[in-house]
Amino acid sequence: MAPVALTPATNGVKSEIGVALLPNQRHDIVYRKGTNYNILVVGESGSGKTTFINTLFSTLMKDYENEMERFEKQYGHTVDITIMRADIEEKGFHCRLTIIDTPGFGDYVNNSDCWVPIVDYVDDQHAAYLEQEQQPKRDNIDDMRVHVCLYFVQPTGHNLSALDIRVMKELSTRVNVIPVIAKADTLTRAEVTAFKDRIRDALYTHGISVYTPPNDADDEEDQARNRELMTALPFAIIGSDKEVVRKDGTRVKGRQFLWGVAEVENENHCDFVKLRNLLMRRHMDDLVRQTEEMHYETFRSAKMASEGKNDDDPVTRWKMKEDEENMRRRFTELVRQEENRFKSWEQKLLSERDRLNKDLEESHMQVKKLSDEVRAVEEGRQRY
Amino acid sequence: MMQIPVVKKQLNGYVGFSNLPNQVHRKSIKKGFFFNLMVVGESGLGKSTLVNTLFNTSIYPAKVEVEPTVDTPKTVDIQAISADIEESGVKLKLTVIDTPGFGDFVNNEDSWRPILAAIESRFDSYLEQENRVNRKRIVDNRVHACLYFIAPTGHSLKPLDIEFMRRLHQRVNLIPVIAKSDTLTDEEIKLFKQRILDDIAANKIEIYKPQIYEGDDAETIDETKKILERIPFAIVGSTQEYEVNGKKVRGRKYPWGVIEVDNEDHCDFVKLRQMLIRTHMEELKEHTNQVLYEQYRTQKILSGGGPVIDGNPDPFAKLDEEKRAHEAKMAKMEQEMKLVFQQKVAEKEAKLKQSEEELYAKHREMKEQLERQRVELEARRKAIAEGRPTSPEQKKKKSGLFK
Repeated sequence: MAPVALTPATNGVKSEIGVALLPNQRHDIVYRKGTNYNILVVGESGSGKTTFINTLFSTLMKDYENEMERFEKQYGHTVDITIMRADIEEKGFHCRLTIIDTPGFGDYVNNSDCWVPIVDYVDDQHAAYLEQEQQPKRDNIDDMRVHVCLYFVQPTGHNLSALDIRVMKELSTRVNVIPVIAKADTLTRAEVTAFKDRIRDALYTHGISVYTPPNDADDEEDQARNRELMTALPFAIIGSDKEVVRKDGTRVKGRQFLWGVAEVENENHCDFVKLRNLLMRRHMDDLVRQTEEMHYETFRSAKMASEGKNDDDPVTRWKMKEDEENMRRRFTELVRQEENRFKSWEQKLLSERDRLNKDLEESHMQVKKLSDEVRAVEEGRQRY
Repeated sequence: MMQIPVVKKQLNGYVGFSNLPNQVHRKSIKKGFFFNLMVVGESGLGKSTLVNTLFNTSIYPAKVEVEPTVDTPKTVDIQAISADIEESGVKLKLTVIDTPGFGDFVNNEDSWRPILAAIESRFDSYLEQENRVNRKRIVDNRVHACLYFIAPTGHSLKPLDIEFMRRLHQRVNLIPVIAKSDTLTDEEIKLFKQRILDDIAANKIEIYKPQIYEGDDAETIDETKKILERIPFAIVGSTQEYEVNGKKVRGRKYPWGVIEVDNEDHCDFVKLRQMLIRTHMEELKEHTNQVLYEQYRTQKILSGGGPVIDGNPDPFAKLDEEKRAHEAKMAKMEQEMKLVFQQKVAEKEAKLKQSEEELYAKHREMKEQLERQRVELEARRKAIAEGRPTSPEQKKKKSGLFK
């Protein structure tokens, strides 16, 4: 879709009433406000996270690490979280960008629990937002919620490591995770294809749901583009913020090898452009929406539920009604039980009466017999 | 939390994040729009007609004249009516909140009260929904703008007008309009508008005015200024079409000519529609949400109107309260039911026990009687056998215990 020019009012849209102009108004409001965009990069050092970020924003967003310090970390135990915030502007549109890096991730001999600080960071941002949102005054909320997590998979050509699976599993329930194959220029095209298949299988097997762009049921073109995006997953990328000269003399961003130039923005060479499209041009808003409407809401309701909060929604009201119903039912049951008891009691009384009547009858018969006997004897005697 | 410095970075190429507003644009078409518009004004000022004219639909069916009755209503009513409007694939769910009865009584002193209550209860409802654990289905009923109809007296604002606007301007985007402005001449309208604006300023009433933003281009600024010049909008509403110079126009026909609704020289209808729908409908919603609602929420929480825990509002206190009430009610109900039940059971039990006792007692009695008879008869038989004289027989008739 062509960018809508920032003109007021009609903007070429034919409209009698003005309802057709509402999307433009929304556009202008968003344009004026700018946006926050918070990207988390996770991956072992040396997987090209910094290069990728710098390539993505085509600026020196992050300084490269000092090579010497990387070795020192081997003896450390913690994964650091380093945060870089920048204000970037494009066509007058402002973006407050936050890049969260996790140096030290997977760099140690024992990497168990190394994802904990990362997962905690994601949760902490949600918690911080929740707290700000509940304040009486909240016109200055600093939204640090992580909108997307790029997970860098080592280009081993084999499969995801146990660590990869564990971490992605933890992260995917909290944040939009997009797996990428780092330094894809070390894999041939066939290797990349096979590697991707294995990764997708592994993700599926372990029930890890990575970010999927929304599908517009009415837009076939949109669907086709999304399918193309999804088949490229996990995105194999080559990062380079340096320009090199191609054989034909043109300058491109890429990596110069003896056997040729691996071009960053060439879709035949890697998926950088596809990933950039997903992250920026096509689904940035959706990544933000998903974060706010799904991941944050999930965190929020879980947190509230853990604090014993319950909803005053129709379900609860219905439950209250049900409570009443249940009580009535319980009493009805009790009454029924008692009624049965009384009924059998009455039954017992009836049969008891019959028994007693019979008993009396018998006694009566005896008496009658006796009396007849006596009378017979007396009458007999009187005849004498 | 530690503050991380924000650095300004210059990009060396096109990245693509500036496409975000377009993504929002696209998404908004898919989702559709909604707007809650309140209309307030004495009856007969053309509220329904204006709404119908604005949205070019008959949201309001033609009203049947009500027969004058002795039994006139004494309160302001709040009525909402919704319509789906679609234009070039963009859908708008418009809800018009009408306030019949406003200003129609002999004593209108408190006419603003039910309207303010309606606006605030809509804020409360939103606040309550916002505090829920599950917020998937939030319904936004908040009033995004209020068209206030001023009678075309040509004098100045009436005390009722001032009172209403003074009470409501902090809670809703007020858009005052001069109704039925075809009753005023150009000169009269000019003077009337000035007096209205003077009254508004003197009473420190804030009416909604479109803002000019820093980044606006010249054309936008010009458009906004033109809107601002026309406030308060003097309007004529009509969905009736007439032919003027071979063209069909909406308007009202008088012997001296046709006043055209959509003619900017004739009235401010076009500018009102421009602001309300074409350029600032989303702004009005934005202002309601970010400023008016937030103000209300802050005040409510800080004034203790909302429960507060550790300095934070406790959105669940109300629920807890309700739950406690529910539990108390259930307990009371159970107690009562138990009492009735126990009483009934005891009654029945006593009755049965009595019948049982009676049964045995009667049996015992008769048995004894029969026994006595038997003993007596035995004695007689014995006496006969021994040759003694017998007394006359005292035979008793058999009788059952129960009939």
